[in-house]
Amino acid sequence: MSRVFLTWAVTHSVIEVQSEDSVLLFVMAWTVTEIIRYSFYTFSLLNHLPYVIKWARYTFFIVLYPMGVTGELLTIYAALPYVQKTGLFSVTLPNKYNFSFDYYTFLILTMLSYIPLFPQLYFHMLRQRKKVLGHTQDYSKVE
Amino acid sequence: MKHYEVEILDAKTKDKLCFLDKVEPNATIGEIKSMFHRSHPQFYPARQSIRLDPKGKSLKDEDVLQHLPVGTTATFYFRDLGAQISWVTVFLTEYAGPLVIYLMFYFRVPFIYAPKYDFTTSKHWVVHLACMCHSFHYVKRLLETLFVHRFSHGTMPLRNIFKNCTYYWGFAAWMAYYINHPLYTPPIYGEQQVKLALIIFLFCQIGNFSIHIALRNLRPPGSKTRKIPYPTKNPFTWIFLLVSCPNYTYELGSWLGFTLMTQCLPVAFFTMVGFIQMTVWAKGKHRSYLKEFRDYPTLRSPILPFVL
Repeated sequence: MSRVFLTWAVTHSVIEVQSEDSVLLFVMAWTVTEIIRYSFYTFSLLNHLPYVIKWARYTFFIVLYPMGVTGELLTIYAALPYVQKTGLFSVTLPNKYNFSFDYYTFLILTMLSYIPLFPQLYFHMLRQRKKVLGHTQDYSKVE
Repeated sequence: MKHYEVEILDAKTKDKLCFLDKVEPNATIGEIKSMFHRSHPQFYPARQSIRLDPKGKSLKDEDVLQHLPVGTTATFYFRDLGAQISWVTVFLTEYAGPLVIYLMFYFRVPFIYAPKYDFTTSKHWVVHLACMCHSFHYVKRLLETLFVHRFSHGTMPLRNIFKNCTYYWGFAAWMAYYINHPLYTPPIYGEQQVKLALIIFLFCQIGNFSIHIALRNLRPPGSKTRKIPYPTKNPFTWIFLLVSCPNYTYELGSWLGFTLMTQCLPVAFFTMVGFIQMTVWAKGKHRSYLKEFRDYPTLRSPILPFVL
């Protein structure tokens, strides 16, 4: 969901943002993450999951996730002045549907939503890591 | 008279929480809950779920000990339902909010619109009419909560009040902001549209009230009996022939009327979200009716005649 938003609603729609370094940052983070993640799913479905893939899936995120989030936030931030200037995706009063939408404010609220969401997701992944990778260490201790 | 012994175990940990001896055979679950409360003051009866099986359904307060499938030493399992709040409290709070909030926008209290509009009134008569309809609707709901409804459950989980109030108060503010805005655009088809909308709204308000009264009369005061509702002499109840939950049908109609009256997209959203939720509730209620009553009329649909 947030992928589609960043790709279409921000980067594609605000052309001026496309040359920003932050775009490179999140595209790199997403690319590496997805290659590992889908390999993980594929091998799992084939019932032949090499440990290194499982390890990568639950370890690389530690760096990739903050990297991706930084890229995303910087990109949205870079888009703000252009959105404000052009009124992109915004609807103003008066109109016959008596409705308004300010995309600029919406983007700011989206950025703020990262504050509660990011820690929750990050710590969830860390807990998953302990659960999934943790017990293999116990087995080696038993031996 | 042989007395029972009752032991109450935690449903998750199976720890022995409470042992009651010399319990009367005709004791109810409600009375057992009171006894359990005495040894565990933090678990008032409303937050206790007592069941025969750790993963089973909750027993009802009215169930009598000797009629349950237990030996003379009965084992029950306890689950904590969490902090509870009364339905009446939740309803009063969630309905009082929209009433007050809408009026604040209607009277253009400062800090909502630009300062030059503070305490001014709209020049469109439909805006005044909308305020009267919206306020009437929530006053009606408050009065029904106090004097009409007979609730099956005393309480609901505490977190519901935050969820429910966010929903009602949030949408009320969002709708009221646009309807009472200085740049509000009245309905395209003018007086005709507003008059039709008002008729629909009033018709459905009376209909909704009629259903609430009919449902109330099915149930003697203080009881929790459940009966099949049937059409009465009041024509507004004849819809029971086609629908299980006509109160929701009429509620949808009221809000469609209000949407037409105000021609405001946020009102349309509110109507749609409410319709989705009421459909979920209506389907659940319809299923319960079918399960409980063998002779439940087959022509009825949950909320929309023949459709849904």
